[in-house]
Amino acid sequence: MNQIAPMTSRERVLAALAGKPVDRTPVCNPTSVATVELMDLVDAPFPDANRDGELMARLAATGYTELGFDAIMPVFSIIQESSALGCNMQWEQKDNWPTVRMKEPIWQTADDIRIPNDFLTHQDTVCVLDCIRRLRREFGDDVAIVGKTMGPWSLAYHCFGVEPFLLLSLDDPGKTKLVLDRLKEATVQFGQAQIDAGADALTLPDHATGDLVSGEYYERYLKEVHKEFAERLDIPIILHICGRTVDRMPFIAETGMAAFHYDSKNEPGESMEAVHGGIALVGNINNPETLFAKGPDAVRAEVYANLDAGVQLIAPECAIPLQTSIENLLEIPQAVRDWHADHPQTH
Amino acid sequence: MGHIVDLGKRIELVPMDRHFHDVTLALYELPGKDGAAAFRVHTYSGHGGAGGRMAWLGKAMQTLGGMVAAGERSVRFPCGAEHAMGVRRLFLEACKLDPAGVVEAKPLTVFDKKSDGNITVTGLGNGRYQVSADDPANTRRIGAVAGGLVKLAEMEAISDDTVAFPCGHAHDALIGLLLTRALNVRIAMREQAEAAGRGVLAAPSAQE
Repeated sequence: MNQIAPMTSRERVLAALAGKPVDRTPVCNPTSVATVELMDLVDAPFPDANRDGELMARLAATGYTELGFDAIMPVFSIIQESSALGCNMQWEQKDNWPTVRMKEPIWQTADDIRIPNDFLTHQDTVCVLDCIRRLRREFGDDVAIVGKTMGPWSLAYHCFGVEPFLLLSLDDPGKTKLVLDRLKEATVQFGQAQIDAGADALTLPDHATGDLVSGEYYERYLKEVHKEFAERLDIPIILHICGRTVDRMPFIAETGMAAFHYDSKNEPGESMEAVHGGIALVGNINNPETLFAKGPDAVRAEVYANLDAGVQLIAPECAIPLQTSIENLLEIPQAVRDWHADHPQTH
Repeated sequence: MGHIVDLGKRIELVPMDRHFHDVTLALYELPGKDGAAAFRVHTYSGHGGAGGRMAWLGKAMQTLGGMVAAGERSVRFPCGAEHAMGVRRLFLEACKLDPAGVVEAKPLTVFDKKSDGNITVTGLGNGRYQVSADDPANTRRIGAVAGGLVKLAEMEAISDDTVAFPCGHAHDALIGLLLTRALNVRIAMREQAEAAGRGVLAAPSAQE
């Protein structure tokens, strides 16, 4: 019999992030589960829902109130801080993601880096802080509220451009580390502000992705920076890196972060072996092929594969496509409940 | 504020309706009751007039695709078959129409720029249709259009110029609607794929 007393969603998520027993595996999305249909449901469409705290909170809350997830993650995009840093933005429309115009970089060298005085009072950072406060007021301790602060590697892509920054990392490791060192202050400032606003945990995307960056690169440039985040930001941090990342998971497991949000390009079993108990895993439910293009049966199979492997928190691998069907999203928590009904001693 | 409802399986989506406040329109296949497939156009938008827009689209699908009413706010093909690809295309085409205009079923003859002549589809009964051209020697073009209908409506290819609905019933209106797209099926399929691909977030390293 399961000996764990029933938990609230928030208790469940925080326990799993702390490596403690849970009454059942939490469904905790470290990235967006917003869809165009949910935008209509609460009249909070993109792009406004990325820039207005009230709309952001309304849309994000549907992950808990409508989908039955155990967390609310309101920072849908990856551009809030970059906008506040001065990057050129393309806000797009309801049916697409806002992006940074990375072909129009704002900085060329580490000496150009300036975190503006209004970084935390800019519309696109304020809306996140306002949103988190609203969610905390509305939901109290019922549900985990997960904020997001972008890591310096991602910010460098946005501010310097992908190609220039990668070339710099090849040509001049010293200057690359200087860029990361200066940009990490933006990560900490925005993360701390979200903690102060009431966030329970922070997603920290840092796109040292498997396609462009090796595991050796991760260890050389980012492992120590990520350790520092885990020390300075005093709530559980969920690191997010897309792509095939098994080669760097052992390093990630040594950072002191609470969880790693991992991509479907990594098998659950091999990933659990790679982190060797050093960090919790979350994610892996495939977005483009499964959640977007297949049906509930395929979603359920991937949820079960993660639960069978002992993955501690269940979620899509990344921000879900905006056209994802609600039916498929509802299947995730339902599959978790059904799996636990079949495995009553597992918690 | 509304709540999500169980409408069955969503089979097509228009994320932004250009004719009605950019609301999201979805086509759901309702859970089967009497073995006949039925569909409902739905929006979660609470915008005033959304119900009227849904009703208009349902009517347009009846006119354009030969569907019939199937209970409250639902439509179906008279044969009761699903015709999933065909109904998805029908929904997409209905959503494109200007609601201020007149909705009419399309003819079974269309001018084809590539062959500089008319292409005609003739019903042969039992759900079979034959494609012909003003120039009967243009077999390549006839075959291409027949192949387009097969792709767009999941029809069966009976011969190079003859296709059939698996249900064995006539669907003249649907064939007329699809014929225009069948003239250049690659563009139609590409448009559909591009529309479906919008809204997928890529990592910064993978963005254009």
